[in-house]
Amino acid sequence: MNAGSFVLNILILGVPFSVALLLAALGETINQRAGIFNLGCEGIMAMGAFVAFLPPFFMAGTPQAPFANLIGLVLAIVVGALLGILFALVVVTFRAPQGIAGIGLQMLGWGVAGTLFRHYVGGVTGVAGIAAFPIPGLSRIPVLGQILFNHNPLVYLAFLLVPVFWYVLFKTPWGLKVRAVGTYPRAADSLGIPVARVRYQALALGGAMAGLAGAYLSLAQAKMFADDLIAGRGFIAVALVYFGRWNPVGVMVGALLFSLAQALQLSIQVAGIDFPYEFAVMLPYVLVIVVLALVRKARMVGPTELGKPFDREQRV
Amino acid sequence: MKRTLAVLLALMALAGTVYGAPKSKVKIALIIESTVDDKGWGQAMHDAIVAVQNKYGSSMIEYNYSEKMKPVDAGSAARQYASRGFDIIIAHGAQFKNLILELSEDFPKTTFAFGTNADVGPKNVFTYMPMSEETGYINGVIAGMVTKTNIIGIIGPVDAGDSARYNRGFWLGVKSVNPKADIKVAHTGSFADFVKAGELAHTHIKAGADVLTGAAQQATGGLRAVAEYKDKQIWWLGQDTLQLTMPEGFKVIAACSYDYAPVIEAMIDKRQAGVLGGENIPMTFENGGFVFKYNDKVGSVLTSAIRKAADQARADITAKKLKLDWQAIKY
Repeated sequence: MNAGSFVLNILILGVPFSVALLLAALGETINQRAGIFNLGCEGIMAMGAFVAFLPPFFMAGTPQAPFANLIGLVLAIVVGALLGILFALVVVTFRAPQGIAGIGLQMLGWGVAGTLFRHYVGGVTGVAGIAAFPIPGLSRIPVLGQILFNHNPLVYLAFLLVPVFWYVLFKTPWGLKVRAVGTYPRAADSLGIPVARVRYQALALGGAMAGLAGAYLSLAQAKMFADDLIAGRGFIAVALVYFGRWNPVGVMVGALLFSLAQALQLSIQVAGIDFPYEFAVMLPYVLVIVVLALVRKARMVGPTELGKPFDREQRV
Repeated sequence: MKRTLAVLLALMALAGTVYGAPKSKVKIALIIESTVDDKGWGQAMHDAIVAVQNKYGSSMIEYNYSEKMKPVDAGSAARQYASRGFDIIIAHGAQFKNLILELSEDFPKTTFAFGTNADVGPKNVFTYMPMSEETGYINGVIAGMVTKTNIIGIIGPVDAGDSARYNRGFWLGVKSVNPKADIKVAHTGSFADFVKAGELAHTHIKAGADVLTGAAQQATGGLRAVAEYKDKQIWWLGQDTLQLTMPEGFKVIAACSYDYAPVIEAMIDKRQAGVLGGENIPMTFENGGFVFKYNDKVGSVLTSAIRKAADQARADITAKKLKLDWQAIKY
């Protein structure tokens, strides 16, 4: 394989690898902009992956099978949003510590998905999943077509959501409210912004995105469900929000960088380049840490009330 | 009468080691990090214990298991089983070595076992080691004869234990029939990251591989990725025969798997003879530790010449005519 096709393969593979991270991290961006960090993202992804898997698994071979993936996606979004609301109940209404509650949600999602999977499905198995949809015309563009326009529809959706999330967050009244409750909730409250309600909405949206990210893994990328399918990607998504400095565009860059590093390390191994694989598999994680360390503290300004519960009765 | 007895004994010897029924009830506990239906590592051991239980009846073999046990949790589970009087406690994974060695001192009358590991443990600890270079070799012979692009991909979890042996045996098998084949070895760094195994399979295929194999439960993710190339001549060689029964089985030319039943029976037998441990039990084709199956539904890709070569390799390995110097292979 020559250098050109080596690089091309990394780019072709890196784009779809990034989608689950991107979808989850976009949702987590909204969460954190509203002042809540949700470490339970991993658990919501597990539940999303599981419920999305069920319709194509059970409807295979039936006349309704063509709609199974769509039903699965909707289920994943709804279940993700409900889990986001459950998390909001715990951390917004009951003001539980967000870190502990998030770990609890992660374990809940992982445990429930695994248990239900065992009960209703059984062993590890696959589904037909979502097929690739090369965009007519664009997919034929040399090089670029293969990299950008030869994927399944969720890949296009994920990247289209980046400007949508940016616009919602920075150009709409609701986005302003989200940022306000994450930066200075007391001021927002004094202006009549319902802090709790906005945080509930943000967590529901964040949960829906995490559910969709899980569905991407089980329906579009792995096309299977297994215990621990998510394998830490939810936590990486949380880290990518810091990496992207709470900006959807930055988050997208982070997800792409991580996934391209992942594709690079796999390609290095496959190419037989004399490089210890133990270091190769570490490469994406090391890269994220290095970039986070290099970003100056002054530029890491995030929501100032991130992680702090809001109590309007509390004296300051 | 003597001749009949001699023939019977010869047949029994050919069929591998023969174990007698337990003299008294044996309580066996299994501790695994995955699940008993993972179509791989955990299930192979679980199925073997269940097979032994079915063979002798649940009145003679009592069986309990604990799944999703990280090494931190496994110690507590193993201690509870030992306290409840379980005779044989199997912590299925090399990661459980330290806790088993520690517990074996506290419960000297309990038999503990862990694997895969080639070391000889204390006097109440058995270890077991699949000589999986044997299964790898046979799959490698098939891969070397099937490939058209002459590029073959291996999806390893980590380069250690039986996976390292399988991969190197596979390498030897490929090279024995196709010295010019380019074998690409890569690792995910995880035994259970199905998604990453799938990503690695796609990377291999993009790099031109048309035959792939993989070890550990994560390999199912690799097979799932191969199945996406439905209409292309891209094939899989399995390290678990359960993969033949999956919907993706149409891509599996053949598969080998571990049969831990001889290990379980050996432990029961030895324990009842007063040997609580202190031995390493190898798993080989010769002692029935491996099962090998072709996929008869795979079509013309599995030619009679390939079957013949693979069968010959298996016969030579079983008869110990073929020595596999897997440790000499450096990627």
